[in-house]
Amino acid sequence: MPDLDSIVAQARTQFAAISEPAQLEEAKARFLGKTGSVTSLLKTLGGLPAEERRVQGEAINHAKQAIEAALALRRDELARARMEQRLAAEALDVTLPGRNSQRGALHPILRTQRRVESIFRSIGFDVAEGPEIESDWYNFTALNSPENHPARSMQDTFYVDASDSAGKPLLLRTHTSPMQVRYAKIHAAAHREHPEMAPIKVIAPGRTYRVDSDATHSPMFHQVEGLWIDEDISFADLKGVFLNFMRAFFEDEHIVARFRPSYFPFTEPSAEIDIAFSSGPMKGRWLEVSGSGQVHPDVVRNFGLDPERYIGFAFGTGLERLTMLRYGIGDLRLFFEGDLRFLRQFA
Amino acid sequence: MKFSESWLRTFVNPTQDGEAIAHALTMAGLEVEELQTAAPPFSGVVAGRIVSFAKHPSADRLSVCQVDVGDAQALNIVCGAPNVAAGMLVPCARVGARLPPLPGTDAQPLEIRRASMRGVASEGMLCSARELGLSDDHSGLLALPAHATPGADVRALLDLDDRIFTVKLTPNRADALSVLGIAREVAALTGAPLVEPAMPAVPATVGDALRVTVHASDLCGRFSGRLVRGVNARAATPQWMKDRLERAGQRPISALVDISNYVMLELGRPSHIFDADKIAGGELHVRWGRAGESVALLNGQTVAVDASVGVIADARGPEALAGIMGGDATAVSLETTSIFIEAAFWWPAAIQGRARRYNFATEAGHRFERGVDFSTTVAHVERITALVLEICGGAPGPIGDQILSLPERPPVRMRVARCRKVIGVALAKDEMLSALGRLGLPLRDLGEVIEVTPPPFRFDLSIEEDLIEEVARMHGFDNIPALPPKARSAMFNAPESRRSLFTLRDILAGRDYQEVVNYSFVDAAWEADLAGNLTPIRLKNPIASQMGVMRSSLFGSLVANVAYNLNRKQSRVRVFEVGRVFRADAAVPDGPLTVAGVDQPMMIGAVAFGAARQEQWGSRARPVDFFDVKGDLEALLPGDLAVRFVAATHPALHPGRSAQIFAADRPVGWIGELHPRWVAAHDLPGAPVLFEIDTAVLVVTAVPSYAEVAHTPPVLRDIALVVDAATPAGAVLATLTAAADSRVTSISLFDHYRPAKAGGDLAESEKSLAFRVVMQDTQRTLTDAEAEAMTQKLVDAAVQAHRARLRA
Repeated sequence: MPDLDSIVAQARTQFAAISEPAQLEEAKARFLGKTGSVTSLLKTLGGLPAEERRVQGEAINHAKQAIEAALALRRDELARARMEQRLAAEALDVTLPGRNSQRGALHPILRTQRRVESIFRSIGFDVAEGPEIESDWYNFTALNSPENHPARSMQDTFYVDASDSAGKPLLLRTHTSPMQVRYAKIHAAAHREHPEMAPIKVIAPGRTYRVDSDATHSPMFHQVEGLWIDEDISFADLKGVFLNFMRAFFEDEHIVARFRPSYFPFTEPSAEIDIAFSSGPMKGRWLEVSGSGQVHPDVVRNFGLDPERYIGFAFGTGLERLTMLRYGIGDLRLFFEGDLRFLRQFA
Repeated sequence: MKFSESWLRTFVNPTQDGEAIAHALTMAGLEVEELQTAAPPFSGVVAGRIVSFAKHPSADRLSVCQVDVGDAQALNIVCGAPNVAAGMLVPCARVGARLPPLPGTDAQPLEIRRASMRGVASEGMLCSARELGLSDDHSGLLALPAHATPGADVRALLDLDDRIFTVKLTPNRADALSVLGIAREVAALTGAPLVEPAMPAVPATVGDALRVTVHASDLCGRFSGRLVRGVNARAATPQWMKDRLERAGQRPISALVDISNYVMLELGRPSHIFDADKIAGGELHVRWGRAGESVALLNGQTVAVDASVGVIADARGPEALAGIMGGDATAVSLETTSIFIEAAFWWPAAIQGRARRYNFATEAGHRFERGVDFSTTVAHVERITALVLEICGGAPGPIGDQILSLPERPPVRMRVARCRKVIGVALAKDEMLSALGRLGLPLRDLGEVIEVTPPPFRFDLSIEEDLIEEVARMHGFDNIPALPPKARSAMFNAPESRRSLFTLRDILAGRDYQEVVNYSFVDAAWEADLAGNLTPIRLKNPIASQMGVMRSSLFGSLVANVAYNLNRKQSRVRVFEVGRVFRADAAVPDGPLTVAGVDQPMMIGAVAFGAARQEQWGSRARPVDFFDVKGDLEALLPGDLAVRFVAATHPALHPGRSAQIFAADRPVGWIGELHPRWVAAHDLPGAPVLFEIDTAVLVVTAVPSYAEVAHTPPVLRDIALVVDAATPAGAVLATLTAAADSRVTSISLFDHYRPAKAGGDLAESEKSLAFRVVMQDTQRTLTDAEAEAMTQKLVDAAVQAHRARLRA
């Protein structure tokens, strides 16, 4: 009877020397195959007495299991080695750049517009846009600027070669204020049947135009109009809303604002708004950012509302101005040149 | 409005300094734009008397002067000025003096040191007006007034620390277009008393009068005037008047003109002084102009008038533009001896816009179109007369004063409660009364109401809010708290079925497009070439011809963006814009958000040029093509929008590589490769691909609705069809889609093959299209037979509609 232990030891040695899975199967056959040494031993059991057969059989089975375990272990080792080899071969230089990563970006003015919209949406304002070729009535008359009024010369107006239904020349809106009237009219009409009108809270951003072109004026620019009308919205509320708007927009709780009396035909009292930063390169300087005021009763009437019952404020702010102050841009013309080297900075 | 502090202080003299007054005015709505001293800072300059002078021993152009500056010893100063004279009083910068840097230079102040000039010691410098920053005059030494004492400080002597105020006035405050008007405001703000100038009547010493007939009371509400005979028009304007005029930005011209300008600045009263001897026919007519008439004006311009423009006419015809500018023929000159002084009330509505029509502006027109006090014409004629007599002499005639129609000044009532509500502050009524009273407004306290009768110098007080504004101004906007509003809070949410334009922007930015903002007005050639629009909406007053028309397409601007950036060494340009375009369209009515006759849709457009993808180590570089950009456009489409791309020609685009976009059969945009003609014209090294589409169809989207997920296995069938090469794949797909029933969940084109030449089973004029059809029934698994039947139905439809055949 050969020494089972040495057969097992032999199998282990042979398996360990094998590095190819096919050879491993051949080696397995040498021990466990039909003619394998362990199988042969099993065949010899038949001639033994029952008790010895049981003892021998157990010993051989034990050896067989040990060989199978060694085989499985070696298979695993080989598989793992193979996997490791493959993984090593497949390794990438992960520092190489990815594909199609480049993104474009919004224009800085639109970036500002979006921020302004989200600030005002957070206190329940709607956002409205409207026509840029506008009628004389919406741009001026409805806003309390009759024809020939000296206030009209405050704004140099572009006219186009087409006329409105009243025969007056159409124009490029000089401010976003016509949207006050358009939006409020829609709102008032929608609430005509209700005893209580929901407040009018809207901002109207968009392109505006004036005959002016130099380092600090562009013939086309952007404004955002704000309007809040209800039964009790006062000038003090305008101050509160605007100051908080500036602090939110510039993310600076230390901004101060001053309201200077001014004149716009469509508001009364009217105010120019200056702000000042408490730090940074503009520290301490008063910077004009907005025109504002309590909506003039004639304008409220043009909304289709009773000015005795409804009061509130309006303001108009230049988006270019806010953008320049926010990002430290010194030259207005950069906004309209379409130069990618400038625009990509806002990605 | 520009004036000096010293002049202002003759009317109101508060204890506050110039800075404080300026701040108070600014915060009251009279914005002080500039506050400067009459001369830039300098020090150490005193009056010096040139006692004697001699030629410099070794320089022809230099003099060596002995200058008395009040010290025991005269100073020895070398000077190069041509007007050096013994006895002359001049500014002398002593050693240690600091002179202002020359205007326009960034130089430091000049410090005067003891120096040797060509071997002669010099102990200071004698100065010209320019060297002191007083004016540009560098012709010689500045002559100081004869009464000056040697050694006196020149700044004090010439009052050079006097502050010059420049106030930017809003159009409603015509009353503040004078030193008196500003003084009234300063008195109200500071509480200092207002000293109005006395204007005693100047008695007539001759009986002469000029006949004036006013024919239009809607033009001229009041006309006052008088003759003065025997004036000396050559008399010199006194220095005090010249100084005040100069410090108010007015160049002194001649005594009579200066007096008229002076009173305009002093009292806000534009007046006109005619040469009475040049008035043809010896009488004046105030009337509207007549078509065909013209006026030769003081400024040398001759302008045509019509019935909407007021004139003052004599026997020859119109002589002056009423309330705007006098005429050349009757202007005063140095030879003038008889004058007619006129002060009138012109109705603002009769003056407004008239000067602008002639493209000029005048101080008089500026004031009259805003409104000038109608109660003081006679007093102001007296004031002018007094000054004329004082400076030019003469014998005045009686004042003629015709009143035809004057503005009414109905009382305006302000409710105390309304005032508090609008301002948002519980102001005491006494404060309101005090605020209005300080402004010189006649008022009555009626309990809960304050009644104000607007004075004739105010043209901006006619409704309750006008008074509320005055109260708020006087209270101080700064003293009104900034309250975060307490309001009913209502949620405001944008509907889920609407996408914001920012969503569209984000999609394109995420696909590597940079947003640009281009002008809405473009070159007419762009419209003609790139939009085929020969009748664009034109600007009547463009700032430049290449910004003359409103664009009807974004294409012109986008192509220009490509060219601009290529010229700046950018090889890959991908930009987009969201903006309105403008087209005349008679079908557009006036509506809540529309203007009749003009369609102005908000478009989104993009252009891509250069490599399809950013240069990268692992991708093969290739130029961007139609289908790259079409994919970008498709990414913008809402999922539920049925869109068709129809091959069509567009003036900007390659005719074989362009499509018109239809949404629900409405044309909404274009996509295509730039036409080779424009590629060449713009000198582009390749063809950009562009699109633009109306955002109206992109911002509306369906709210998702759940459909049961099928648990049965899908059945796939591929159909390869051979069709004529000219048959659009989209048309075949549409046929298949129409023929499919609800069990077909998708049909997609997965292969397109067109042989370069005939071969295999395809003729040269044919192409092969392969579609994958996915079928699924939510309730049960489809049988083979059912799938085959459906596939056959689709094939039959294609055969029928497109003479397609199954590919072998």
